[in-house]
Amino acid sequence: MKNNIFYTFVILALVSSSLSAQNLLDKLEKEFPENTNYAIGTFKTTRIAIGQSIETRRKGQLEISVFSRFWDSPNSNKESFLADKSTHRFALEYGLTDRLTLGAGYTSFDGIYDSFLKYQLVKQQSGKTNIPISITLFQSYAYRSMQLGNVTPFVSGSDKSAYTTQVLIAKKFNSKFSAQITPTFVHRAKSILSEDPNSQFAIGFGARHKISKHASIVSEYYYVTNPLESVKTYDAFAVGINWELSHLMLQFHITNARNFAEDTFIMQTKNNFNFHDPNFHFGFNATFVLHTKKKKL
Amino acid sequence: MNKPLLFLIAILLSFSFIPPKKSQFIARQGQVTFFSYTSVENIEAKNNQVLSLFDTNKNELAVSMLMNAFIFKKELMYEHFNDSYIESDIYPKATFIGKVEDFDTLEEGEQTKIIKGTLTIHGISKEVSIKTKITKQNNTINLTGDFIVTVKDFNIKIPPVLASNIAKNISIKFNFNYLPYEE
Repeated sequence: MKNNIFYTFVILALVSSSLSAQNLLDKLEKEFPENTNYAIGTFKTTRIAIGQSIETRRKGQLEISVFSRFWDSPNSNKESFLADKSTHRFALEYGLTDRLTLGAGYTSFDGIYDSFLKYQLVKQQSGKTNIPISITLFQSYAYRSMQLGNVTPFVSGSDKSAYTTQVLIAKKFNSKFSAQITPTFVHRAKSILSEDPNSQFAIGFGARHKISKHASIVSEYYYVTNPLESVKTYDAFAVGINWELSHLMLQFHITNARNFAEDTFIMQTKNNFNFHDPNFHFGFNATFVLHTKKKKL
Repeated sequence: MNKPLLFLIAILLSFSFIPPKKSQFIARQGQVTFFSYTSVENIEAKNNQVLSLFDTNKNELAVSMLMNAFIFKKELMYEHFNDSYIESDIYPKATFIGKVEDFDTLEEGEQTKIIKGTLTIHGISKEVSIKTKITKQNNTINLTGDFIVTVKDFNIKIPPVLASNIAKNISIKFNFNYLPYEE
């Protein structure tokens, strides 16, 4: 009996000594001040695939990007390398503050200059305060410097202008999956043909799913509520892979959208999504981020 | 049954379960800095909100920190660290529990000791020994030191294309200032 008690004591003493450091740790856990955990990297870059994501650039970050689309013309007898045709958008984005980004770009194929402001209104967070979604406001102005195919030439400068307003609403559901809904409003000063609406609405849906720590599958779809009357347009769709390499983000996708400026690709995509030429477009975005200001540690 | 033995057990148990008051010290704004030096890129990050409890009776200490409290010079590094490497969504904290070896009494002044314990980062625990300078002044204790951790040991995967950007061994520095702990 005595022996039993002795052994029990020894065991208890051993257990308690190994546990006490753990007890210290448990005690410590209660000492953490309540803090806010922001959702980090909902989409990793400022575009999901073809459209804007809620992400903005932080203060002092400069984003240099080249977006490209490649496609083949139907019945082409050209034996070109890679693709018959291509378009590129060259752009810069700069974080004025941690929430406000200014961006501008030029697209080679349609000659559109676009500029925009993007403001992160609400950040998804948990902890002290709980906000389940992120909201970013987007306003762009696009200027068409080239005439569009065979349509009536534009008369004045304001006729070539388009304004796009988007409310980007996104949620990072878990470390792998994020989704976004994007109500979009486009206003054109004057439509090419009178029967076309000057103002158009669309709603975008986008999502990403991480397949590894640095790569994710993304998809986007924009549904247009009041499409153009004069030409047959299709809803823009894209599916692709985003691959992050340190400061460089590479995005590969297949899409039916040829243009880059928000007002054109959402509202004026003239190709359906399929694998026939010239509907099949291969998209490639390269985005490089430079830090012009470094934080002090 | 033997009454004195029971009494002894009771006393000993009470000692082992309820540590005497005023023997515990807390650091609320401990600093942990890590460095990754490569020829391509130097990465440095600092956490100024590391918590630590030091029990000077048992010579034990515990450290806990939030991974998303690390500050980087470049914002993108912060994002990559939390999202792709440390996965702070899943493993929000790094912890350490350990015991100071050959530590009899806490004397005024400076002494260098080895702290042996378990370091947990990214959900993986590893035994480590850390050479630490312990300085006691009046009612405050200061612990400083540095050690090296191997990224691979904690199941943190670096893609081959980025292998030259991130060092295989990360050097970690710490500095804790402890004050008496009031519960």
